[in-house]
Amino acid sequence: MKKLLTLALLLLAAPLALLAADAPKKVIAITGGRLLTVSHGVIENGVLLLADGKIAAVGEAGKVKVPVGAEIVDARGLTVYPGLIDPETNFGLIEIASDQNSSDLAEPSDEIMPHMHVYDAFHSETELIPVARLNGITNAVVAPATDDTIAGQDIFIQLAGADRDAMILGRDVALAMNYGADQRRRGGRGGHSSFPSTRMGLITQLRQTLIDAQDYMAKRDAAAAKKDEKPEITKKDEGKKDDAKPETKKEEKPSKRDLKLEALIPYLKGERPVVIGVYEGYDVETIMGLAQEFHLKVILDHVTHSQQILDKIAAYKVPVIVGSIYDAPRGNERYDAVYTLPAELAKRGVKIAICSADGGGPVSSHSSRNLPYAAGFAVAYGLPYDEALKAITQNVADMFGFGDKLGSLDVGKTANVVLANGDPLDVRTDVKQVYIQGVAVPMVTRQTKLRDQYSK
Amino acid sequence: MHTPSPLRLIPHAAPLLACAALACASFTARAQQPADLVFKNATVMTASHGTIEHGSVWVHAGKIAGVGATVSAPASATVIDATGLWLTPGIIDPHSHSALDNDVNEATSPVTPSMMMIDAFDNRDKALYQALAGGVTTELLLHGSANMIGGQAVVIKNKVGLDRDAMLFPNAPRSIKFASGENPKRVYGGRDQLPSTRMGNFEVMRQAFEDAKEYMAGWDAYNAKVAKNDSSAVSPKRDLKLEALADVLRGKIYVQIHCYRADEFLTEEAIAHEYGYKIRAFHHALEMYKVGAKIAPEQTAIATFADWWGYKDEAWDAIPWNAVMSMRQGVKVALKSDSNDHIRRLNQEAGKMVHYGGATEDEAIRMVTLNPAWIIGVDDRTGSIDVGKDADLVLWNHDPLSTYARAQKVYIDGDLFFDVSLPGLGTTHFSGVMDGDSESRDDGRNDEGEGQ
Repeated sequence: MKKLLTLALLLLAAPLALLAADAPKKVIAITGGRLLTVSHGVIENGVLLLADGKIAAVGEAGKVKVPVGAEIVDARGLTVYPGLIDPETNFGLIEIASDQNSSDLAEPSDEIMPHMHVYDAFHSETELIPVARLNGITNAVVAPATDDTIAGQDIFIQLAGADRDAMILGRDVALAMNYGADQRRRGGRGGHSSFPSTRMGLITQLRQTLIDAQDYMAKRDAAAAKKDEKPEITKKDEGKKDDAKPETKKEEKPSKRDLKLEALIPYLKGERPVVIGVYEGYDVETIMGLAQEFHLKVILDHVTHSQQILDKIAAYKVPVIVGSIYDAPRGNERYDAVYTLPAELAKRGVKIAICSADGGGPVSSHSSRNLPYAAGFAVAYGLPYDEALKAITQNVADMFGFGDKLGSLDVGKTANVVLANGDPLDVRTDVKQVYIQGVAVPMVTRQTKLRDQYSK
Repeated sequence: MHTPSPLRLIPHAAPLLACAALACASFTARAQQPADLVFKNATVMTASHGTIEHGSVWVHAGKIAGVGATVSAPASATVIDATGLWLTPGIIDPHSHSALDNDVNEATSPVTPSMMMIDAFDNRDKALYQALAGGVTTELLLHGSANMIGGQAVVIKNKVGLDRDAMLFPNAPRSIKFASGENPKRVYGGRDQLPSTRMGNFEVMRQAFEDAKEYMAGWDAYNAKVAKNDSSAVSPKRDLKLEALADVLRGKIYVQIHCYRADEFLTEEAIAHEYGYKIRAFHHALEMYKVGAKIAPEQTAIATFADWWGYKDEAWDAIPWNAVMSMRQGVKVALKSDSNDHIRRLNQEAGKMVHYGGATEDEAIRMVTLNPAWIIGVDDRTGSIDVGKDADLVLWNHDPLSTYARAQKVYIDGDLFFDVSLPGLGTTHFSGVMDGDSESRDDGRNDEGEGQ
């Protein structure tokens, strides 16, 4: 009798525990599913334990002990895999694509805008996030649009959280750089027609900016070194003060901070990656030359029309975000010249990520929910399945510094887990449940509400 | 650096030269096509009567001559072993703006019904080839949506490499493109012209049909007099614009309407009733799930996106369940591309309907074959694997509704136009360099309401 009572109390308490804002203390055991671990193969009939927002255990049924009192989620017939990560989105920077009022995509007033921080604009309540989440996207990089040579700094987000700050896992995780025809100020979309209007101009401007930033960094370092010898400086300063010359007085003051140049310092030091959006092979060679000159830590992005230099790209030993895989090939190219790009890069040992963008236009995060299908399409055109899955999970996490926390079903990692009724990369597959930080996310969006409203 | 190959100027040259090397006596592309062709042991998705596992399809003289577990083809027939492959009807796109070189909107007046799409059709555009490689055999090339009444469409068979006229779908019904909502509002409102609101939208249409009615009455009176040998009969002036609208009122042209919102479907149907024409299909129709039961009795179909949304206000209530929900309410549903990108993988868009709303595979494949054929008015000739129909067929290496399917061979009228195993482009009737790089990223997008 006592036992039954305890059980009843436990059952009553269970839903309350789930309502708690923090990661639940309760253990969730996802049992009987087909686990795609990403890091160590497929486990048929597996068990996955989630506790304290993390993955507590993963293994074959019978080999993982399910603790008493754990909430059992029956995943028989389902495929279980780590949350997908979209390496390039505009989440929270635009709501309705045609509505400029909803756009914080780019600051096109100047080409060099490293001091634009996506976290200042990120609208975490955007409807786009739940829509993507419903298809198993749990994390993403948010980048500004590509109008500028240096567009700003990216954030790395989680697609659920109590508020904006809870959703931003990393601020200024990467510098968004672009190089090619789109950035020329040629009377394009922005109505500009000014310097730099050629690739020569773009590169010269970029090189000057990086040199300025190097000089700024050197001055700052020198000033910091001087500060360490404080007594002497104070003496000198006092002496100069007595002269009461305003010009020299200026020099003595700590130099004014230059936010633009300051923003570039971590990237000049190679501490964080620079994501370089570039399409044409010859543009890749130019920008990589510049990147090597300044020892930047590069992630190449797109390389859509670089088929002729893939060996060279492999020799750079930098990771590549491929996409849109749906961009059209040139008129003299076979129809699958871009579809095969992920496979061709992976074959050469390049670490790749795949992004969700549609072909032929700017990134549209409305299509982020189609991320797994882009990866599946790469499989159709020769990419090994395991590589495709990595390209939207572990590889993305690695590129942006979250490889130890996200991207696979491994003990200790954040419990971002997806349950679906089949192959995650197939368009026919329906995602049944998404867990973020070990919490079952409500499978509800504005769109499901409309569906249900008109299904009555 | 690249010297243009002389082959570029002569699309037929490749098979021709190959033939010459073999010292053929006579050769045309068509002559290589066998009189009888049999696909054996395929998973045949007929689109009209389910899927036949280990099925056969017999093609004779460009038409489907047999389909089933076995077919009674002559022993001389060329046999294609399709073990492990899928065979479907050719994919049909009922809403494409490919190969029009941005000549899709004569956006100088909101009513331009006499603009003929065929006059802009550039049959050398690479978008056609890329669509062919995705299994697309028929397209309805439509005007854009800048105008309330844009003009008359052209139906093509995607016979890449043949000359322009050989690519036209023979005797296809005429279609005319209407549009309402944000695009005409933006285009004309931006110039402080009528229409800058939906009120203006529909008034412009009513006025156009009032003009057409008067014009038609003038001709009817004249023809009546002529019939009575009345020597006082004076022929009214022929007006191309009003003649086209009169043909709409006479029921001679299918009306294809670009619109998004539930209220617009109701308004469009009301105007159609008022003036006595029928609407063949609403295009985009992203809110049909809200009023499908009301529209179903009108027998107006929809050509919609699988899951595009949020690109403008009137696409804000778009849900990926729209197609299946509308179908369950009795509306005939097709999926369409409206894009040189999506046209290459409409089979996947159909696959998404299994996911969003639980369409059967049969229902899903129909959304990109038989149903768009009906919208265009060619469903009696293509769109399914049935005896007597044109042999427009695609052989796939995987289930075409999956992400993994690649078209292996594409046949139109029984003739092979694409074969993935061939080197180069994989085309059988074309070699050289395609046109159409003008739409590269350097140009940005045309935003006169070309697409969407």
